[in-house]
Amino acid sequence: MIQFFHVSKRYPGGQTALDQVSFEIARGQFVFLTGPSGAGKTTLLRLIFREETPDDGQILVNGRNVASIPPRKIPYLRRTIGVVFQDFRLIPRKTVFENVTYLPRVLGCDSKQQKQLAYQALRRVGLAHRMNAFPLELSGGEQQRVAIARALVNEPEILIADEPTGNLDPDLAREILRLFLEVNLRGTTVLLATHDRDTIQRVGRRVLALDRGRLVSDHELAGSDPPEISLPPAEAPPPGAPGEAASTAALEAPADFDVGPGAPTASAGKPGAAEGAP
Amino acid sequence: MTLLQAVRYFLREATVNLLRGFRVSLVAVLTIAVSLLLGGSFLLASRNLAGSVTRWRGEMRVVVYLKPEATSQDLARLAAEAAREPWAAGVEAVSAPEARTRFQHVFPTLADLVEGAQDDPLPASIEIGLRRDQAARSGLDRRLAAWRRRPEVAMVDDDREWLAQLETAISVVRGVGLVLGGILLGAAIFTIGSVIRLTAYLHHEEIAVMRLVGATEFYIRGPFYAEGLLQGLLGGALASGGLYTAFRLAHSRGAASLLPSLFAAEFLTARQLAALVAVGALAGLLGAVSSLRREPL
Repeated sequence: MIQFFHVSKRYPGGQTALDQVSFEIARGQFVFLTGPSGAGKTTLLRLIFREETPDDGQILVNGRNVASIPPRKIPYLRRTIGVVFQDFRLIPRKTVFENVTYLPRVLGCDSKQQKQLAYQALRRVGLAHRMNAFPLELSGGEQQRVAIARALVNEPEILIADEPTGNLDPDLAREILRLFLEVNLRGTTVLLATHDRDTIQRVGRRVLALDRGRLVSDHELAGSDPPEISLPPAEAPPPGAPGEAASTAALEAPADFDVGPGAPTASAGKPGAAEGAP
Repeated sequence: MTLLQAVRYFLREATVNLLRGFRVSLVAVLTIAVSLLLGGSFLLASRNLAGSVTRWRGEMRVVVYLKPEATSQDLARLAAEAAREPWAAGVEAVSAPEARTRFQHVFPTLADLVEGAQDDPLPASIEIGLRRDQAARSGLDRRLAAWRRRPEVAMVDDDREWLAQLETAISVVRGVGLVLGGILLGAAIFTIGSVIRLTAYLHHEEIAVMRLVGATEFYIRGPFYAEGLLQGLLGGALASGGLYTAFRLAHSRGAASLLPSLFAAEFLTARQLAALVAVGALAGLLGAVSSLRREPL
């Protein structure tokens, strides 16, 4: 799904953001990307949706070499990737509905389709009743849920999030994290950047750790207190779909993975947590 | 998204932007309207002057003025000779008393000037209409030179000379109009470009989101191009309306005076008006395109 091969990125002035980073994320995985501020997390995410281009190495997203995509094709790549930021990036003068339906409008959906898609996406984040509200009328957690709904409205194959809980208090952060896990349960590959080690320890999952631009660790972590996530029967994915196994049971990290920093990259290329969950 | 859907979206967004930034948009629209009004005024003046010249060319004539000592026999003989000239379309011999009567008739307020004179103050003349097909030929110049050398002839007045001067004046009017209109249009393009840049800046967050979700550059820039186009269209329409109002005012206040009849006898044609509005629209579009090209969104 996402493959990095010896990717390096340097910013003008010689600052190295990423240095020879290689990893592979399979379809349906839930992956934490962690590291201290300035480790290169944001740069790595921006490379995936081609906000940046690498100086060296190759990046494949769904088998497509992202670096060599011509500029006019970049929008088509981005339509397959949902992106969520720490600062939500909602447009204050637009309603929740308008914020969520940017992509359907771009795709030329009529107003009925737009309403349908917005309703579905907002229902998934529990905000279908706030469709006509303006972002500033919502709490921080609700705003982030709207941002998630916007990222999900087109059922993207990949959802990447850059510190999505950074601006939220612990309860709201937990709620938002639960949403990402639910999204993953439905089969979407999730890559979530955070420096909140407590959350990672609690939830578990595969963890990529960056430090000063280098990938210092790629390991699976069993969560100490993983949230129980399940989908309503009506929303459960069809048999054989990614996440299908996990949808019927509480989501817990598999216990047979090595844990702790520096563990070997046992999970690289393997099915994600959603698929691999018992 | 189909092209029609995109165009509808562009126009809707552009209209919202225009209304939201009403004051700055108004400046841009007025700038383009003033430049087009000026250009349109010169176009109107040169068009009417050119029309007058064409009309006068159809009535072109050569007037041969005789010396005071020339007799009525000389007048008749020379008129007969003139009638045989191949370029003559018609000949009228005007005797000195007839010239005085005509002057008194045409200029009744100046009749006193010729009233008391014992001798006829105006010379006898031969008015020779020019055949249009012969007017441009060099043979005519040679024949007129021969007429000027005749002992009975005091002077020869050739309409073509002042018509040529008038045509030069029209070219100057057109040139000045083009230069002034061009300079003002450049200023209008710059103003529209600045307004569009400002609008784009005000929307930079939204543009970033649109880019993030996968909107194409065409989709992102389209509303701004449409906004420039609309500003230009509005400016062009405003200039056309202003020009027509000025035209009606000029006619209602001085229909018989020389200036309206010379410079504004007829209004611009529908095609010329459409061209004026189209130039406005094009200028608006150019302003938008150039501003977004200089400063990528």
